[in-house]
Amino acid sequence: MKRRVFMGQAALAGPLVWPAWARAAGESAPRLISLSGGMTEVVWRLGAERWVVATDTTSNYPAAAQRTAKVGYMRQLSAEGVLALQPTAVLGTHEAGPASVLAQLRQAGVPLMLARADHSFQELLAKVRLAARASGLREAGQALEAELGTQWQQALRRIEQVRQQRRQRQAAAPRALFVMNHGGRPQSAGRGTAAQAMLDLAGAVNALDVDQGYKALSAEAVAQARPDVIVTTTESVEASGGLSGFWRHPGLAYTPAARQQRVLVMDAMALLGFGPRLPQALMDLHQGLS
Amino acid sequence: MTIGAHQLSLHKAGRCLLDVPHLNLPAGQVHALLGPNGAGKSTLLKALSGLERTVAAQVVLHGRSLDQWDILALAAHRALLEQDHRVPFDFHVTDIVRMGRYPHGARPHPREVDLVSNCLQQAGALHLLHRRYDQLSGGEKARVQLARVLAQIEVSPDDHAARWLLLDEPTAALDLAHQHAVMRLLREVAAQGVGVLVVLHDLNLAAAYADQVLVMNDGRIDAQGPCARVLQPELVARIWGVVCERVGLGQGWLAFS
Amino acid sequence: MSALASRWPRPAMPSNKVMGLLGVLTLLGCVLLAISQGAYGLLIANWHQGGAEVFWHIRAPRVLMGVVAGMALGVSGALIQGLFRNPLADPGLIGVSSGAALGAGLMIVVGWPWLGARAGPWALMVAAFAGALLVTALTWRLARREGQVQITRLLLVGIAINAGAGSALGLLSHLADDEQLRSLTFWLLGSLGGSQWPAVSVCALVVALALSLPLWHPAQARALNVLSLGDTSAQMLGVNVQAVQRVCLVCVALSVGAVTALVGMVAFVGLLAPHAVRLLAGPDHRVVIPGSALIGACLVLLADTGARTLVAPAELPLGVLTGFIGAPAFVLMLHRRAALA
Repeated sequence: MKRRVFMGQAALAGPLVWPAWARAAGESAPRLISLSGGMTEVVWRLGAERWVVATDTTSNYPAAAQRTAKVGYMRQLSAEGVLALQPTAVLGTHEAGPASVLAQLRQAGVPLMLARADHSFQELLAKVRLAARASGLREAGQALEAELGTQWQQALRRIEQVRQQRRQRQAAAPRALFVMNHGGRPQSAGRGTAAQAMLDLAGAVNALDVDQGYKALSAEAVAQARPDVIVTTTESVEASGGLSGFWRHPGLAYTPAARQQRVLVMDAMALLGFGPRLPQALMDLHQGLS
Repeated sequence: MTIGAHQLSLHKAGRCLLDVPHLNLPAGQVHALLGPNGAGKSTLLKALSGLERTVAAQVVLHGRSLDQWDILALAAHRALLEQDHRVPFDFHVTDIVRMGRYPHGARPHPREVDLVSNCLQQAGALHLLHRRYDQLSGGEKARVQLARVLAQIEVSPDDHAARWLLLDEPTAALDLAHQHAVMRLLREVAAQGVGVLVVLHDLNLAAAYADQVLVMNDGRIDAQGPCARVLQPELVARIWGVVCERVGLGQGWLAFS
Repeated sequence: MSALASRWPRPAMPSNKVMGLLGVLTLLGCVLLAISQGAYGLLIANWHQGGAEVFWHIRAPRVLMGVVAGMALGVSGALIQGLFRNPLADPGLIGVSSGAALGAGLMIVVGWPWLGARAGPWALMVAAFAGALLVTALTWRLARREGQVQITRLLLVGIAINAGAGSALGLLSHLADDEQLRSLTFWLLGSLGGSQWPAVSVCALVVALALSLPLWHPAQARALNVLSLGDTSAQMLGVNVQAVQRVCLVCVALSVGAVTALVGMVAFVGLLAPHAVRLLAGPDHRVVIPGSALIGACLVLLADTGARTLVAPAELPLGVLTGFIGAPAFVLMLHRRAALA
């Protein structure tokens, strides 16, 4: 396990290296802090959960992860809180923050192993590699990589098959819309989101392919977009009080999807977390859209 | 020792607020400023005190125009008592009166310690000494503010420059007994050499206590002179539009019908 | 006391020196508490196994920042309340907080690559500070008429500017993507986390310079006392009202701007600290201004200690704690004030 000396942050953090930390590292069992739901799932799949000392508030799957100590939301960490747990590695994505706290952790010599969250299969592989390195489970890591790779190729092949068949029939790709409502106003997914990436992979077209990020649902814009199928999360349906309540929203009620009651309800973390359930989630999504 | 003005004119938004070609008021006397609402009494008071910066050059106090006076020296020699007595924080009465001593920081009075109590006693408010100001009634607040302006113009014995007290309706919130007490106080203060210019609405009060009366109308000084000569029924009818007649009791009172 | 006044004896009150000493001791107590509490327990026991570093590089700059922030907000609250002659006034009235938020929001959502490349992590703080100063200057400029600023006009312009900045922030929130939105939201909630020596030192220097005039020169405090009588009465008493306004506004803009740029929005301290001092020691600004510095610092330290320890290893936003401590304290104070009256 390497101690990182971070000189690039010298202007902000001051030129310090903490020797005491380095001495302590590498002498005992790994102590892992896992940030972001997808990364936590990877750690559990690898079998490294016995070394997890804390997770963040987005790590809710599997159920055991909810019972670990919580360091708060991954974008709002506390330097002292993380250091008090004396981790040998902090695993997560580049979305962790704030930057000043990360700088303090680097200064203290805590290895930050952050995968780039670019909403691709590479992201998942990066998570597996980092988790394997941090926990020392190299063989398990390679095995998991291979297993996920196989599943992924299978899914991609099937999607390509269906796409060819569709082209022969000269049928259009399904128009889908991802809607999320975790209490408050419903939001639709635009470009650059994990949801958009999943729809693209599944061979669908995002009916509302405008703005960046998640935006409040505009009833008229959605009606004009005419999606054939709505993709949403289980939490969103619960928040709307069941499917009937979900369809009653003015933006959704007048879509072709509503007329045929075509909705695809999936688990949020499985669909968007880019964790080990990714290949299965992609298959489920693709099946539901066709 | 006088306060005077020359070519004092003030226009705002096309209206003539003040048009006083010449004014000269000697110290040591009580001058009453009378007139109907909107005649310009408060405006003239503000101009003479230096609040209206635009006409400060036209007002002369003790030989110097107001814009040539040092701000603190001016504050030590003339005080203005306005009608609004609200103070936002919970100061004590002594704090309020002591604020009147602000301009004297550089040259404290030899008996600075006693000044607060003396001024309060003169104003008839000594019994309020340790009360909180915001808990007083309107009349009590008015008397404390009077003590404050008295403290303001209390200068060292070796300072012989004229001092002036300008008051805008000091009797407005007071009951009958205190109205007369305040007017008597103003006469005593004038007897010590201080010039007093007071805006009043009660013509009888003015007639009883003022040495000279100035009657304003439409921004101009319509009449000026001793009360007995100026305050005649014809003038009252012309300026205020109220019918009255002189009643020959003591100092020539007016009875209104 | 004069013979006349001795007939009405003054009710007993502890002298200002005693209160001042008590205040400093309380602050020292809060500092000790803040330094000794934290997620990283028992610093003395593991001083040589990383405890020393946690103390010097994480906890100490944070505690210093807490003191600096509390003093800046407390004194600024006292100055603003004196200036507006209203015990409900708050430094945000002149637009300094919303200006800082707008600067930070623009930096987070729109970004400025030129500044980001040169300043790196300092870019956000610089942008927030610049925003605070610019918006306050705009408010000041718009409130001037014929070379004079009337306080009521300043209040109204401040309300309008705050509303405008709020709308602009709302627009930025709409344009922001997920990550930017979360960054903005957490910035707005305020936190002392991530305080490091270089930034804290610069901020402390700016605040010390900005507050040097009101804290060390009683003339400003005496002038604010007299200002309570009203603008015209104060003018008649020889107070240069325009100069007093300018000094107050510059001090508040610089100190609150610097603190908000580093810490984010912290509610309540500027409103509460002067009130507490007035209740304990009277409304004389010569006491209220330094007293607000002490009490403001204590409040922020207590709130931050709670923020760091209540849900350890996680952390609560500072604004939540100042509200939790401040709101009941405020109600208690009003209750006690009514009972004393």
